[in-house]
Amino acid sequence: MARSVTLPTIPEPFPADFRSLLPALLATRGNIDAGRIERLRARRSVLSQSGTFVGHRRYERGDDLRHLDWSAYARTGELFTKQLQEDDRRAVTVVLDLSPSMFAGSPPRRLAALRLAAVLAGLALARVDGVSVVAPGAANATARFTGTAQLPQLLDHLQQLPVVDAAPSSAVALALQAESVGRVHWISDFAPTQEFSRPLLSLRRRGARVAGWIPTVPEDEAVPVGGYLRVVDPESARELSVPVDRALHDELRRQLALLDRQQRRMFAEAGSPLWRWDQGDFEHPRLADYLPIVAACTR
Amino acid sequence: MTFASPQFLWALLVLPLLWWLSQPPKPRSTVLTAHMQQWQLAMRALKRRPPRGSWLRFVLLALATIAATLAAARPFVPATPGPQRLVVLLDASASMAARVEPDAPSAFERAKRTLRDRFDELPEHVDVTMLRCGGALRRRHGRAARSMQDLGEPGGGLDVDLEALAKRTASEDCVVWTLTDGQGQERLPSVGALTRLDTSGANAVLEAVRVVDAWPLPNLRIEVDVVAYPDRASGDRIRAELAVRGAVRQEQSFRLSLQSGVRATRTVDLVRTKQGGELVVELSMPGDRLPDDHRYRCTLPPLPAPRIATLVESDAQPFAQVAAESLAEEVGGEVVAPDSSEPVGMLLVDGGVVPLLDERGELLGRRALTFGTRLGASVASEVWPAPAPLQWSRRSPLTVGLDLSELRVDRAWRGILPEGEPFLWLEDGAERAPLAVVVDHGETASMHFAFRLEDSNLPLLPAFPQLLRRAFVRSYGAAAIRREVPPRAPEGERDLSSPAAGEGRGLPEFAGPERSLAVWFVLAGLLAMALRAFVR
Repeated sequence: MARSVTLPTIPEPFPADFRSLLPALLATRGNIDAGRIERLRARRSVLSQSGTFVGHRRYERGDDLRHLDWSAYARTGELFTKQLQEDDRRAVTVVLDLSPSMFAGSPPRRLAALRLAAVLAGLALARVDGVSVVAPGAANATARFTGTAQLPQLLDHLQQLPVVDAAPSSAVALALQAESVGRVHWISDFAPTQEFSRPLLSLRRRGARVAGWIPTVPEDEAVPVGGYLRVVDPESARELSVPVDRALHDELRRQLALLDRQQRRMFAEAGSPLWRWDQGDFEHPRLADYLPIVAACTR
Repeated sequence: MTFASPQFLWALLVLPLLWWLSQPPKPRSTVLTAHMQQWQLAMRALKRRPPRGSWLRFVLLALATIAATLAAARPFVPATPGPQRLVVLLDASASMAARVEPDAPSAFERAKRTLRDRFDELPEHVDVTMLRCGGALRRRHGRAARSMQDLGEPGGGLDVDLEALAKRTASEDCVVWTLTDGQGQERLPSVGALTRLDTSGANAVLEAVRVVDAWPLPNLRIEVDVVAYPDRASGDRIRAELAVRGAVRQEQSFRLSLQSGVRATRTVDLVRTKQGGELVVELSMPGDRLPDDHRYRCTLPPLPAPRIATLVESDAQPFAQVAAESLAEEVGGEVVAPDSSEPVGMLLVDGGVVPLLDERGELLGRRALTFGTRLGASVASEVWPAPAPLQWSRRSPLTVGLDLSELRVDRAWRGILPEGEPFLWLEDGAERAPLAVVVDHGETASMHFAFRLEDSNLPLLPAFPQLLRRAFVRSYGAAAIRREVPPRAPEGERDLSSPAAGEGRGLPEFAGPERSLAVWFVLAGLLAMALRAFVR
């Protein structure tokens, strides 16, 4: 029986601990894999690591000190960052699933998804030319951020994203509409797989390189052992009253393992990697829990 | 539909509670999942269904509850108005035995057939009472009435006024149904249903048969009173035939010319056969519709064939021997020697001493006729010279009608007579000294005279043979019995030519039964529960 579902309240996604963790995380060594798109050749002031000098802009905190124009500082006494015209613009697109199903888990998967998006986008801000945050169904479905200076805006944007039930296909359309697609990091639960298979293939045909991210929650593996549960799908609002016993526990574990294989096969068929990330202690974020993200991005 | 106990309908308020109870339990904890499909696949793999309320199951449970509640409230379809009782007045008087044709069923049989056919169609709830009117009144009720159990055969007169009885019995709730031939009634019932059975026609009645039986003598006299009632078409003079057959030596038949409604008496003297048997007196008349009342039957016992023994003194005259031989010839017996090894039927003793007393001095119950005989050796006797004047009983069966005025006794003996009923005595002022007594032993009797035959002129009197014959008869316990057969057909049941007039009337519609619907509701409830067992 379908009925309205009261979604749980998500803890503060970017507490001070997390925000203080971000600079150190972004300062780690390594490059983030970004896409190169010819048609997005830079004609305006964008962040670039190399290329032809096209002008200056005022230094903002967080800009790479190597790009400071010390001559201009000597002349004017103010800090300017050199704006370089690059031949190929490197960008990252983060697609975030805002559907109610992301509220499953304890803490909800959406919390880990937001933090994962923040890390991925932050890495993109720090190491490549920019990041596009695609949130299907949101009023501001596509938001672009450049430079680490926009990290707070990025976090605010992520924090204010609503809960929207949008089809995965709409995410594909939004991602392809972005000026610079680059590497697409798709954060979702990717369940059921049937809904994601076709959009993934579609992205591949369009030349986008996709990396799938599943922020894991304990419930993905720690299935209830017993009890009489009301299992609710927050997306479809369907619910099931289930007496859980050992047999059902084992069978559900088997089904979840099967889902895991289906997800991997789906991404393999799309030629894309699929990462699972466990955020660990969500109340006390630790750097070590987030380093796997960086590691995955640099591969 | 109406309810006999509508207060039970309040139980329907339990339905909301049933709805609440039929719901599956609510889980206490809720889990949000993105893997609903996996949950469903797991359940399907284990062939499990989530506990859930079923509308159909609840509807069936509610139906069963409603049906049980309604059944408890005792629903019924009210009875349609009308009488619920039937009282049948069945005329079973003698005239109901009349038959239109000799082989046709009697009116009584036709009435019973009519009743049986109607009872088959009669609703079960109609309470039936049957009164057999005429002859012995019999009442049957309920099932016994419907099966017409033991109604007997028609006979006797109709002693009740059917009209009055029907009026007294009929009511709004009770229908009276009279079945009668109208014979012997002034009017037919004017209320209720009426079935009139035609029995009108000619009838000859053997009104009375009087049998004068001289048993153990073979003589038999029959006096027959006959009455004939012709039908309207016949004249006043009626020809009939009276026949006597059966246990008589010669069957006799007489043609009678009778006048309508006038009694005629015919006397027939007969000699019965020794072996006895059935005696039939039958009156026959052409067109007689009521044959049961023109035939008389009785069974005559076989005549005794006694062995008569005589004991006389050596110097006695042969009166006793001659009397014995004459008697034996008359009744078909034989005279035997007193010392014969075969039992003796009657002992005729003249004088002497015969041991007829037992040890206590009481007389043995033997058929005996003694003349001046001492009944025991110890009996003292005293000569009683010429007792006179003599008188005899005018009422005793032994001497009634006999003339013993010429009787002279030269010598008698006092003290030799046992205790008994004197029928001959010496009248001495107010005192009577018995000269002859009869002692009744029940099935036997013995007569004792205080004088010998040779000491009197009794053997010479004309009354002696008759006295001897009566003594023989009396020795068998009773004198000849005059039997008068009561008329078989009562007065009002003889003339079948003018029954009471009236038109037949049918039975009205009886009340429809009050039909209970409780059983149907119980069945519906059980059906709902049975269906519910198959619904998941």
